[in-house]
Amino acid sequence: MTSFVAAAAALTSGEPLWRTIEQPLVLRLAVTAAGLALIAAELWWFLARHGEAVAAREGERGLQEITITVDGGYSPARVRLIAGRPVRLTFHRLDPSGCVAKVIVPDFRRSLDLPLNARTSLELPAMEPGEYPFHCGMAMVRGVLEVV
Amino acid sequence: MSSPSAGPSCCHADDLAGSASGMERELAHELTLLRRKLTVASVLTALVMLSSLPHMLGVHALPFLPGWFTSPWTQLVLSAPVLLWCGREFFTGAWAAFRQHSADMNTLVAAGTGIAWLTSLVATLAPQLLTNEGLPADVYYETAVVILTLVLLGSLMEARARGQTSEAIRRLLQLQPPTARVLRDGAVQEIPVALVVVGDLVQVRPGEKLPVDGVVEEGNSWVEESMLTGEPTPVEKGPGDAVIGASMNRSGSFSFRVSRVGTGTVLAQIVELVRQAQSSRTRVQRLADQVVGWFVPAVIALAIAAFVVWFLVSGNPVLAMLFLVSVLVIACPCALGLATPTSIMVASGKGAENGLIFRSAEALETAGGLRTIVLDKTGTLTRGQPAVTDFECLPAGRLPAQALLAAVAALEERSEHPLAEAIVAFSRPQLQDPQLPAVEGFEAVAGRGVKGRTGGMNVLVGTPRWLSELGLEITALEPLAARLEGSACSVAAVAVDGRIEACFGIADPLKPSAVAAVAALRRLGIEVVMLSGDARRTAEVVASQVGIERVIAEVRPADKAAVIRRLQEQGEGPVAMVGDGINDAPALAAADVGLAMGTGTDVAIAASDITLISGNLAGVPAAIELSRHTMANIRQNLVFAFAYNVAGLPIAAGLLFPLTGWLLSPMIAGGAMAFSSVSVVSNALRLRRFRPTPLAAS
Repeated sequence: MTSFVAAAAALTSGEPLWRTIEQPLVLRLAVTAAGLALIAAELWWFLARHGEAVAAREGERGLQEITITVDGGYSPARVRLIAGRPVRLTFHRLDPSGCVAKVIVPDFRRSLDLPLNARTSLELPAMEPGEYPFHCGMAMVRGVLEVV
Repeated sequence: MSSPSAGPSCCHADDLAGSASGMERELAHELTLLRRKLTVASVLTALVMLSSLPHMLGVHALPFLPGWFTSPWTQLVLSAPVLLWCGREFFTGAWAAFRQHSADMNTLVAAGTGIAWLTSLVATLAPQLLTNEGLPADVYYETAVVILTLVLLGSLMEARARGQTSEAIRRLLQLQPPTARVLRDGAVQEIPVALVVVGDLVQVRPGEKLPVDGVVEEGNSWVEESMLTGEPTPVEKGPGDAVIGASMNRSGSFSFRVSRVGTGTVLAQIVELVRQAQSSRTRVQRLADQVVGWFVPAVIALAIAAFVVWFLVSGNPVLAMLFLVSVLVIACPCALGLATPTSIMVASGKGAENGLIFRSAEALETAGGLRTIVLDKTGTLTRGQPAVTDFECLPAGRLPAQALLAAVAALEERSEHPLAEAIVAFSRPQLQDPQLPAVEGFEAVAGRGVKGRTGGMNVLVGTPRWLSELGLEITALEPLAARLEGSACSVAAVAVDGRIEACFGIADPLKPSAVAAVAALRRLGIEVVMLSGDARRTAEVVASQVGIERVIAEVRPADKAAVIRRLQEQGEGPVAMVGDGINDAPALAAADVGLAMGTGTDVAIAASDITLISGNLAGVPAAIELSRHTMANIRQNLVFAFAYNVAGLPIAAGLLFPLTGWLLSPMIAGGAMAFSSVSVVSNALRLRRFRPTPLAAS
């Protein structure tokens, strides 16, 4: 409310809403450049693809297995699978946030409640090549199964 | 793509109740902790606000507040626990997400409050850095703590509401009693339900809930199945009748042989289907999902841009910082992410309560937009228990009735068609000799009839149309067939050695709900079509009895799917097919929405998108109504969530200032954010009040 109150006070008293400061051109250019660089860095960090997909390991009976740690995100977030073989995904949830308490694999209509600090597994049947996303209950935290 | 429903998986339906109660404990723990943190944060925030009162009012001191209390150092000490303890999860969560290259609500809250607090810290520890630049060394501790407190309040309300969305599944799971009274070693023992095995004999006393599914062996009673089927009236059960777990025994006592336990029970299947529906996506949601993916990074970019622009305009870094914080904390990706799933959760649970099982969110989505509904006649509009009402020998017939009935019964006994069963049930008791003649070369032609050799004769039993196609002379049959068809009977003609001898009239009574359900569908603006394998006249009579104008008759089972596809191609809008789950499976799969009629004791769902557990036709309009309500609810949520963010962000960035002079305090922005996701969840919870419109009395 500070700015509201100050703005109201300023309007009634006829003073300017804020104190304008003449900044040197160099500083203004520097702030602009830094801001643009920060935007670029931030977009690259969050949106660009980072790291290759991690391949699942071979388990018994031709089952592919991978453990995904849930802590702020899925690690690994990209899992590479071989087409035509079933897979067991084991989620290890370390993140207390209620958002990641559930993981959903929409293409298989499967959801799994993930108790905190525990490993919970989900088996999926053999898949055809393609990308199959999985995500938390609100679809904010995402991962993808890359089937080749 | 295949969607395994009963595939192997751990932590699946076997410990349905176990995993649910674990998550409940976690939610309860989360709520307690949130409440405690909110209390501490509220008290400290009130003190910080009081301490910053002189600054807010633009005065140097207030008479009732001592100087030390209004010092920035006091505010620093009071606000530190709010950030470091009460709001700790926002910061740890944001950091964990950052390391994983992802950004969520935590990122926005942590960045917004962290920047406001750190700026204040600089102003407190080294005020000369600001004063040397000609800026006042103002602090914004109250901004940081007010935002955190409001967001905590929002999280608490949201967590509570989220708990309520899965209430339906919890209620379903609680339907199963914990123990069963089982006959073991000659004595009745009370054992946990998990130890009951198939083949056990379970005893049920009046007023008890049935623990698992089975078949009654001894005793009679009335059983209430409404909690699973949505059917309000109790059902009478006697020896041989199937009973389902979780239903309630009324007055009698009986014992039943267990046929299904664990994940095989109807209750477990319903819970699993509801869970599946809740895990699937609607088409509208995919759009929201795409937006959510880049939403937070875009907001961060906008916040930085707002900082730069306001710095260039005013040269005042503190003012620019306030805009940066406002933009960060007003954005609410949660509202977008929650908009659809919460509505789907509540709606699919509500459906289950009314005996309507939606197999996917997409079914829930499509059902509301249906323009045409095709109702199968037998078993859907009618009871599906046909009985012979007429048997007439033609005047020109050569064989005595006894010989005809024996030959027909011998043939039809080999067929599994319901009409064949009706003919056998009619013929058998009339035969003097219970020994049926032998049959050779038996053949059943789907949708037409049966043929074979028996007693030295070539016998055909089937539709007059089929016999005519085979080249038989049916002129003598026609007046009789017309009369029978005119009274809504199906006609099965009997031909022996190429001559028509007799015919059966077989009627299938209408379901009591049929007329009212068809009327309700028409009130919903849906074109109702009846599909039947019967002769046109029979089908038309039945159709006029239930108030259907459009009839597609004489369709063989294999052609039903083609009829559905033709209707779709004719641009009749999304087409639904209502039929039984087994014979009509291809047509159900071909339709935009397939609705299968259950029997109340089995969840026959193979190809259907929606299962009406009780087989009551009233469920069809109810499913459409629920779908329409749900889609309206989702649209409201999405419009609200998008509009909120689209309107809020520019205001927070100060875009409107040059036009209107509007400036938004970061604290107001934080409050708006907290309450936008709460309003989305609360709106979804309104669906809990859904009640299908009762059918008008027929």
